[in-house]
Amino acid sequence: MNDRIKNLRQYIFDKNHHKYRRKPEELGLDKLSDGFCERGLSDVERSVERLSLLLKNEIPVILPGESIVFTRTISSIPEIFTRDEWQHIEQSHFIHERGTVSNICPNYEETIIKGFKKQKEAIEKRLVRKDLDEKGVEFLNALLKGILDVQEFIKKYELYAYSIGEKQIADTLHHLQNEGAETFGEALQFLRILHFVLWESSNYHNTFGRFDQYMYPFYVNDIEKGILKKEEAFDLLEEFFLSCNKDSDLYPGIQQGDNGQSLVLGGTSISGEEQFNELSEMCLRASLELNLIDPKINIRVNKNTQLSIYEKGSELTKIGLGFPQYSNDDIVIPGLVNKGYSLEDAHNYAVAACWEFIIPKYGMDIPNIDALSLVDCVLSCVINLDSCSTYADFYRLVEREIQNRVDRMCEKHKNIYIEPSPFMSLLMDGTIERAKDISLIAKYNNYGIHGTGIATAVDSLAAIKRYYFENKEITYDLLIAALKNDFIGYEQLQKTLRYDAPKMGQDDDYVDSIAAELLNSFDQALKEKRNERGGIYRAGTGTALFYINHSSNLGATPDGRNAGAAIPANYSPSIFIKQKGPVSVIKSFTKPDLKKTINGGPLTLEFDETVFKNQESLSKLAMLIRSFICLGGHQLQLNTINRDKLLDAKVHPESHRNLIVRVWGWSGYFVELDEVYQNHVISRFEYKL
Amino acid sequence: MKEGIIFSIEEFAIQDGPGIRTTVFLKGCPLSCPWCHNPEGISFEPQYLISKTGKTLCGEKISSSELANRILKNKDFFESTGGGVTLTGGEPLAQPNFVIDFLKQVESIHKTIETSGYAPLSVFKEVVSLVDLVLFDIKITDSESHKMYTGVDNHMILENLNYLISSEKDFIVRMPLIPGVNDTKTNMLSIYSLISDAKSLIRVELLPYHKTAGAKYGMIGKIYDPPFDPNKRPQIFNVFEDNNINTIIL
Repeated sequence: MNDRIKNLRQYIFDKNHHKYRRKPEELGLDKLSDGFCERGLSDVERSVERLSLLLKNEIPVILPGESIVFTRTISSIPEIFTRDEWQHIEQSHFIHERGTVSNICPNYEETIIKGFKKQKEAIEKRLVRKDLDEKGVEFLNALLKGILDVQEFIKKYELYAYSIGEKQIADTLHHLQNEGAETFGEALQFLRILHFVLWESSNYHNTFGRFDQYMYPFYVNDIEKGILKKEEAFDLLEEFFLSCNKDSDLYPGIQQGDNGQSLVLGGTSISGEEQFNELSEMCLRASLELNLIDPKINIRVNKNTQLSIYEKGSELTKIGLGFPQYSNDDIVIPGLVNKGYSLEDAHNYAVAACWEFIIPKYGMDIPNIDALSLVDCVLSCVINLDSCSTYADFYRLVEREIQNRVDRMCEKHKNIYIEPSPFMSLLMDGTIERAKDISLIAKYNNYGIHGTGIATAVDSLAAIKRYYFENKEITYDLLIAALKNDFIGYEQLQKTLRYDAPKMGQDDDYVDSIAAELLNSFDQALKEKRNERGGIYRAGTGTALFYINHSSNLGATPDGRNAGAAIPANYSPSIFIKQKGPVSVIKSFTKPDLKKTINGGPLTLEFDETVFKNQESLSKLAMLIRSFICLGGHQLQLNTINRDKLLDAKVHPESHRNLIVRVWGWSGYFVELDEVYQNHVISRFEYKL
Repeated sequence: MKEGIIFSIEEFAIQDGPGIRTTVFLKGCPLSCPWCHNPEGISFEPQYLISKTGKTLCGEKISSSELANRILKNKDFFESTGGGVTLTGGEPLAQPNFVIDFLKQVESIHKTIETSGYAPLSVFKEVVSLVDLVLFDIKITDSESHKMYTGVDNHMILENLNYLISSEKDFIVRMPLIPGVNDTKTNMLSIYSLISDAKSLIRVELLPYHKTAGAKYGMIGKIYDPPFDPNKRPQIFNVFEDNNINTIIL
């Protein structure tokens, strides 16, 4: 890291740029929706006008030493609907999260390559065709207006840069107002602009997709032409990564850090070539040096991936970033193809904010539309245990319960409303031709359902199978009473269920086959489901934040877990079991056919930071990851944590500002998390050596 | 079928030899080093560990074939990474029949033994012939001082070390650095002189003492009262590195 980057990093880390921020109310932008309502504007018009007003009110800021510019100066994005209007919309529609387009992967490269002028021409060409209705015309004009506003905004920055003697920045911005990027530096600046505008448009969880693939041609071209040295390219890359941390505290998310700035490296091409390139490697190095939570890195790997790639990734794991997360092309691509994605698109998959596999350019999937508590499906059947004479009978009840809940769940996802996003639409393929906003339709419109409490559900099933049906050590009355009383007065039984019963994660076929069956049932339950956009449903092994609320209201479970006690985040072993070790965990968790749960959700392995002292230990971690991939795991995420440090950070947050932890699908600063999330992270370590 | 007693099996032990490997801790040790960080591994009998969270039995009697089955369950991981099993303790050579019988049953994987070297030469020879790597602990060269701290004479240990060097079996020297006990330049130089000609020495691993070693004494009802200052940091001299021996600090 050179001094320029070092100083810039410190400047941003110290939040010095926050002084430029103004609240919408200081700018008279806080009651935009009242005006929109009075003027009777359509949602598309409102969206366009909000962006326009915000960009006009942004003031150009260039931080000391910056060459890639654009910093947010308006602290939040005002709503386009009044409270009454929104209530009305909510009453008659299904609203996903914040109701705006999020968690998809735009086609940045097309605009970066072509530039706004050509994009405008394409829209104008479409406008002259006669097959447009009023809405279509409105949409295309909204695209044009968005481009004009952004061009004007870039111009404002250009003039400012020029006025303070930043000629090079001014020249770049001048060029990018109309033309595509020609150099690596320009491409990064253009990406920064597009990304900035998406956040300013109220889109969130704006992912970066396959950054190393679409940026590589610019990089190689500059290097071959001799106009850029590798060290210079690396500095630019670091600066771009830094820029992702400038405004990230303003990005909406459940917790600080949950901002969806995920970036994917590597992968396999449709012809089977490894796509991890020099730039991919530079990205890992940049992230290692910067030691910041954004962008969050994913690496696409396969059974032939070189150990050295895992070793490089493990260096990031070692410093405690909570990423990279690995996804296995050998599983994910066929899994996506099975769900109807074209082979070409499946090969181009990226990772959404947390772990969901999404398709860049073409996907308007909502991979986190809902979550099914698999453990609650099991628990709610326990009361009917006495009507079952075999485990198979009981499992059929569970299967039926899963189906019933899925049926009810899918019913809810009707009449969805998503705010139009003209600028995001500009960055998605097919929108101009369709003349329809991306919020309405895309090539892929699939929904994904998280599956929570998988290990707790599986362990509970295994306990019932063994102790109720097989050796009959536990009677119906005893189990029901123990669960009802939260094991108070039934401590011996709880001990047996907790510590003697078979558990997922111990490489025990008895219980792992139950896991395979359960995940299969989850997938089957969604198989025939179609959403109102014609999309399918995908089952997943992620939990998102649901591991908190699906556990706090959950009664005691037959695996010996107390009422309200935590369930694991994502696809991980139950929290209180003493594990044999990561090898057994990996063997267990790769037994199910994970192509079926292709919505994603990683196995999470956690290590004490003292484990990774030297290069040799990193190679071993690399071997472990490769084993997971070769055994057919779909996704893996590793954490390195020092528990004492976490405990101390709760008491002395001021001395642990840099402490990074992985929460459920993203890395955040530990001291910025709510206590419930802090405690869950700590409890995950209590049973480790 | 030979039976032995173990007190822990640890998967993915990353400091104990090449590749992905599992380390088995054998219970019982003829030495009684006051810096021992596994004091529950000293007695050959099962015993209770008592902590705030409850009472757990430490020590599992197991047959060599049962242990081999457990270890070989992860054979695929070992084979694809050049890993295998490491026996440590306690002192594994204190259960020679069990160890030898076990090693013969896991021939197909990489085998490492970590030992204090305190065993009859005949036992040591046989075990060395069955393993791929030896982690040989050397603490103190001076025999009186050795006896004072560890409770045993080091004559047999040095004899076995000489044999190990002559056997040309791959080995690593492990040296715990205990403040005020063996962290002198003289002691390190004298260890160096023992191994300076060893052809099959891979490297030296230094293990600086850390006071967390005292954590488990209370759990087995012992008082942690080492005859040195546990808060002091041991001195580290670059004796081995200076003589071109690859050295790492664990």
